[in-house]
Amino acid sequence: MEEIRNKLEQLLLKTQKPARYIGGELGSVTKDKSRVDVRFAFCFPDVYDVGMSHLGMKILYGLKNAVPNYWCERVFMPEKDLEALMRENNIPLYALESLDPIKDFDFIGFTLQYELSFTNVLEMLDLAGLPVYARDRKGLTPIVVGGGPCVCNPEPIAPFFDLFILGEGEEVNLELMRLYEQMKPQHPTKEQFLREAAKIEGIYVPQFYDVTYNEDGTVAAITPNVPEAKPKIKKRVISDFDHAYYPDSFVVPFTSIVHDRVVVEVLRGCIRGCRFCQAGFIYRPFREKSINTIAGQTRTLCEQTGYEEVSLSSLSTSDHTRITELLTTLSDYTDNENINLSLPSLRIDTMSKEIVDRIAAVRKSGLTFAPEAGTQRLRDVINKNLTEEEILRTCRLAFSEGYQTVKLYFMLGLPDETDEDIEGIANLAQKVVDLYYETPKEQRGKSVQVSLSCATFVPKPFTPFEFEPQALPDEIRRKQGHLLDCIKSKKIKVSYHQMNVSVLEGVLARGDRRLADTIYCAWKKGCTLDSWDEHFRFDLWQEAFEECRTDTAFYANRRRAYDETAPWSHLDYLVSHEFFVRENKKAHEAKTTRNCAEGCSGCGIKKECGGVYCG
Amino acid sequence: MAEMLQPKNQNLRIEKTEYRLVFEKTGRARYISHLDLMRCFQRLFKRAGAPLWYTQGFNPHAYLMFPLALPLGTSSSVEILDIALTEPLGYDELCEKVNACAPEGLRLVSAAAPVMKHTEIAFAEYEVSFEQDGTEGSVLGQRFSDFLAQEKIEVEKRTKKRGVNLVDIRPHICLLSLSSEGAHADAGLRLPAGSEFNLNTNVVMEAFESFMGSSLDRICTKRTKILTKSLENFI
Ligand code: SF4
Repeated sequence: MEEIRNKLEQLLLKTQKPARYIGGELGSVTKDKSRVDVRFAFCFPDVYDVGMSHLGMKILYGLKNAVPNYWCERVFMPEKDLEALMRENNIPLYALESLDPIKDFDFIGFTLQYELSFTNVLEMLDLAGLPVYARDRKGLTPIVVGGGPCVCNPEPIAPFFDLFILGEGEEVNLELMRLYEQMKPQHPTKEQFLREAAKIEGIYVPQFYDVTYNEDGTVAAITPNVPEAKPKIKKRVISDFDHAYYPDSFVVPFTSIVHDRVVVEVLRGCIRGCRFCQAGFIYRPFREKSINTIAGQTRTLCEQTGYEEVSLSSLSTSDHTRITELLTTLSDYTDNENINLSLPSLRIDTMSKEIVDRIAAVRKSGLTFAPEAGTQRLRDVINKNLTEEEILRTCRLAFSEGYQTVKLYFMLGLPDETDEDIEGIANLAQKVVDLYYETPKEQRGKSVQVSLSCATFVPKPFTPFEFEPQALPDEIRRKQGHLLDCIKSKKIKVSYHQMNVSVLEGVLARGDRRLADTIYCAWKKGCTLDSWDEHFRFDLWQEAFEECRTDTAFYANRRRAYDETAPWSHLDYLVSHEFFVRENKKAHEAKTTRNCAEGCSGCGIKKECGGVYCG
Repeated sequence: MAEMLQPKNQNLRIEKTEYRLVFEKTGRARYISHLDLMRCFQRLFKRAGAPLWYTQGFNPHAYLMFPLALPLGTSSSVEILDIALTEPLGYDELCEKVNACAPEGLRLVSAAAPVMKHTEIAFAEYEVSFEQDGTEGSVLGQRFSDFLAQEKIEVEKRTKKRGVNLVDIRPHICLLSLSSEGAHADAGLRLPAGSEFNLNTNVVMEAFESFMGSSLDRICTKRTKILTKSLENFI
């Protein structure tokens, strides 16, 4: 530690925002090494400012450190300026609390939140001074583990990891560390340890599975090669969510980060079943915390951190069964304490006006809707339950109160999308603009701006659209052009996401193990921080595709048969394959499926998982 | 949106008690930037249960004021922070409460009522310890006194209006001590500080490096005093 610290001190002043690289923030946990038995380096494969905003890391950091003889520390991807200085001065990747090199830790854990962070994993392993391929790391430690949503198809990065954790981590992380603590004194080999670990539910050890391929390139079979490996690995679910571990303290950064506030998770899972949304399926079933629990956690964290803003986190906060009562209780507390309450995923159309008025962030940020598709027909295809009337009704109310900006989110390239659907986007935006001009002058604000944000649809595993081809870049470009042609008002602004990013996402999301060498090749060429526009090098990725003979269309742009063996077919996220097939068929008939609150649709989740509506 | 046009804290308690705090910024905390330090202290008082007084108006903010900025990377145990609380707390009690929940490297040393005006700050003193690989501390110290023996030390100064200007900083540098031990040389410096004219140690050390024609490998800087024109401690 002293050595790294001394070297760092001379270099930090040469970097942007050095306080990100030296730890010591309030709430960070330091322990006496001589009393610690298991050390865990929790790596977020992106820069500090992004990683520190991530809720999952806060939960697992608190959870592991609550065990006296376990020590979990934080590690982030350095920006390019520090990365260059570290390599120049032989500083290995270190953990922020102890400033010790992470290659000496027992576990190195990565949370995999998006495909574009894959090259960062390689970069961080390399900066740590470790071989990136698991097969080249022969000793027992460090054991490199991965968790998070991308683990539902970890195949493209499987060769870099020793094991993956499927589903929710609160219980299984501790089970894994306990197993290690028990076995460590006997000095097992890595294989001996991994075989034992594979017996724990939710743990997937990729090297214990052989993958074979058909002549057409599709997967033929995924077969366990040791007796401990189960044919199907089930994700973990916390069934008693109200009593699940939640941290009573957060690390409070010195520098400002993306989400710099208290975050309280109010519910997990989503009832809605939008067919494009992976989170909506892999986090099922819908479970919620009681008002008491939420209020208590809010108070504790506000007091511990000193933050003046608290945000409720969930996929759709208004689906809490007692939302009005919850917001009333919370705003009574926050108003009193001069704390802002913000609700990022609130459907205001379902809320009473008094409640909406009380919530500062809604007032500040203007109106946001995510219709995702331009016509009711296409919204039925994707099962997005938001009607034009609802949007217009809320806009009318808002304009009469002086709101001036409306933001609408759409996706281009959805299954069965026609030009009429594209025109529908422009029409809807125009209707919103017209509505503003229909509002009496003395009520409405000075001007209006409608922003359309158009992403490219990326089909994801464990959704009803996992079988769908992703639209080709040229087709998306044509659709974008058509949309622009249809827009007549200067009050409407359109923004697109970088399309090449979606192309890469599309390939990685449904890729198989053979892609690992492509990822390695792209990283070797210098691809890192791919999620940052200024660092994204699609040209290098294309070189890598070519050199590794990767057919991107095979992964992204082909329709997959219902009975094809998917690269992720040995992983079980509890929602059944039959359900996805059924939903896919209904999508093509433009038929909607009711949400879980209206009635269970039998997606395959068992009642024992604790879902509010299941069974 | 008529109701939004009222100040948020319209019914706030106006009484306030003012405090001048002396704090320490060392170790990892040295890398907290000036702006971040403001936010950090604000949260710190909140956690400590010391109710900060908010300014009134449409954009209320907690009253916290650092009369003299500390450059990033410099450590100090004489930094000043002025605050106001809505409920009076004993000086020792306030320090204890805040220190109980302060991050590593930040610590309140003392609290008292402010006596002087911020504009009275005129000088600050520093201890600068520096090294260059392959050069003895004593040699380095000799070079430093050669450097100060120059009649003029001109440095470039950027101004908004006139572009780059040459300024002679020699008259502003007061050497208080110079010694060496092993690999490092140590200089005690008094430099002008405050809102009127401020000279940071890094400007001096950069001028020294260009005088030597080579760069130093390690520089450790510590602020030791904040003084008035008549060289009294600022209180
Ligand atoms: S089992 Fe029924 S209620 Fe539960 S998540 Fe699935 S569809 Fe919804």
